[in-house]
Amino acid sequence: MPLDTSTYSLALLRLDGRRWNELRRIHAQISTQAAADGSSYLEMGNTKILCSVTGPHEGRSGGVRGGSGGVAKLEVEINSAAFSGTDRRRNARGDKRTSEMEHCLREAFGGVIVAHLYPHSTITINLNIISQDGSLLAASINAATLALIDAGIPMTDYLVACTAASSASTSAADNASADDPLLDLNTLEEQELPFLTVGCLGESDKVAVCVMETRVRMERLEGMLAVGIEGCKRMRGILDEVVKGYGKRFG
Amino acid sequence: MPREAEISINEREFIKQALQEQIRLDGRAFDVFRSLELTFGEEYGVADVQLGKTRVIARISVDVVTPAPERKFDGIFQIVTEFSPMASPAFEIGRPTDAEVILSRILEKAIRRSNALDTESLCIIAGQKCFALRADVHIIDHDGGLIDASCIAVIAALQHFRRPDVQVEGEKAIILSVREREPIPLSILHQPLCVTFSYFEEGEIYLVDANVAEEQVRQGQVIITMNKHGEICQIAKYGGATVNPLALLNCTNIALEKVKQMSKFIQQKLDEDNKKRNPKGLMNELSAENARENAVIPG
Repeated sequence: MPLDTSTYSLALLRLDGRRWNELRRIHAQISTQAAADGSSYLEMGNTKILCSVTGPHEGRSGGVRGGSGGVAKLEVEINSAAFSGTDRRRNARGDKRTSEMEHCLREAFGGVIVAHLYPHSTITINLNIISQDGSLLAASINAATLALIDAGIPMTDYLVACTAASSASTSAADNASADDPLLDLNTLEEQELPFLTVGCLGESDKVAVCVMETRVRMERLEGMLAVGIEGCKRMRGILDEVVKGYGKRFG
Repeated sequence: MPREAEISINEREFIKQALQEQIRLDGRAFDVFRSLELTFGEEYGVADVQLGKTRVIARISVDVVTPAPERKFDGIFQIVTEFSPMASPAFEIGRPTDAEVILSRILEKAIRRSNALDTESLCIIAGQKCFALRADVHIIDHDGGLIDASCIAVIAALQHFRRPDVQVEGEKAIILSVREREPIPLSILHQPLCVTFSYFEEGEIYLVDANVAEEQVRQGQVIITMNKHGEICQIAKYGGATVNPLALLNCTNIALEKVKQMSKFIQQKLDEDNKKRNPKGLMNELSAENARENAVIPG
């Protein structure tokens, strides 16, 4: 394993010098673009995302305008810049990973937005990934939450997300001593460790999103979930500060 | 674009109310799968799964190609899913719906990313020749639980499949036909299987293996992929109503139990099929003591 777990178990510091339960530096702004109804810019470490929200507005498509059944329709588009990853990639749109993320955001915010207030209308969330360094889905959710708040779209609570990993590998199942769960991963850690993305509704323990793509012993899930949920609570505090700080300027 | 027939409000309320009274419309308990049928085709690597009224066929085929330059020692394995209009009028060819994208992503993560198949064993000559394995998943009939059924079909088909043997002499590889040499099974490292939980009433009620009507009423789903050794290969909960984390952990325990049952069932069906193909068993055939039935003694 390139991630040197032996140094981790000695100094209990990760590759970038964080302890197991520390988030990366988070910098967030709202109302970054004047043209959009709501917008935000979020940095989680080196993951950088620009998000804009348009709507509620009349849908673009000719036939079905807006959502059916008396609720607003949610559209999500994710665009990742060609220079965002380590290798330059063209045409990330339309690949299944991106459409899975779009689907996830649509489903997740569909449960949080009070959509029945806007029948026959569409809310469009546009995400631009400028730089990728792990926790991409989590950062997208956080950025979208901020932009939706900026757009003044009513939600039941903040939807916040972060990642958590289990630092013991699947092979070393028996040495349970040095297996701290880790919070908020960067790309290197994501490649080496089993991790999950967990999204919570505000301060509550309720899990709205839980996506895990790597193989892990089922006993480790509990620890990872607990740390992830704890991270979400802290994340909510940070995002809340940003929104309130912005509000003070008018106060 | 034709849309799936939406369930009526009356029916919706009926299902919800019945669930509150602990009744499912088809009389099953909440944590019980529908009747599972698994049959294998004439050829190796064809599995036909029937889960209630849902029917999925998976077929494995193999080809010899040049491996990708960045992965010289690996063979190629891909899973292709297709929803045909035969299963439901809402499916159209060439325009993947959300459900189709999610199905193929889940299978990809559950089977390919979790390294269920040892792709290194598909390599023939490093950097020059390898086997390209392709699993085609065809949805024949749709009554909910597509992900669970497809996963069972692919895993069963992979275990059933035999690839032709190869003989490597230096830079030359000869693919031996089935008649020349007994084809060999794939090396499968573990058998991941999916269990989908649908939840209702703000996460208070969990159903295993929902049918299409229950799928339309549900507030959200959690797809858990595990193998019988107690490893989680994948969890997918894309939004929907929120759930308690403890309930999520409870789901993994139920999933493990279900996966163990299903693995056992698949193994039993494979053994039955094997017995049908070699009625006397391989050891019997190899034994020197018994005279071979069709042996023609020359001279």
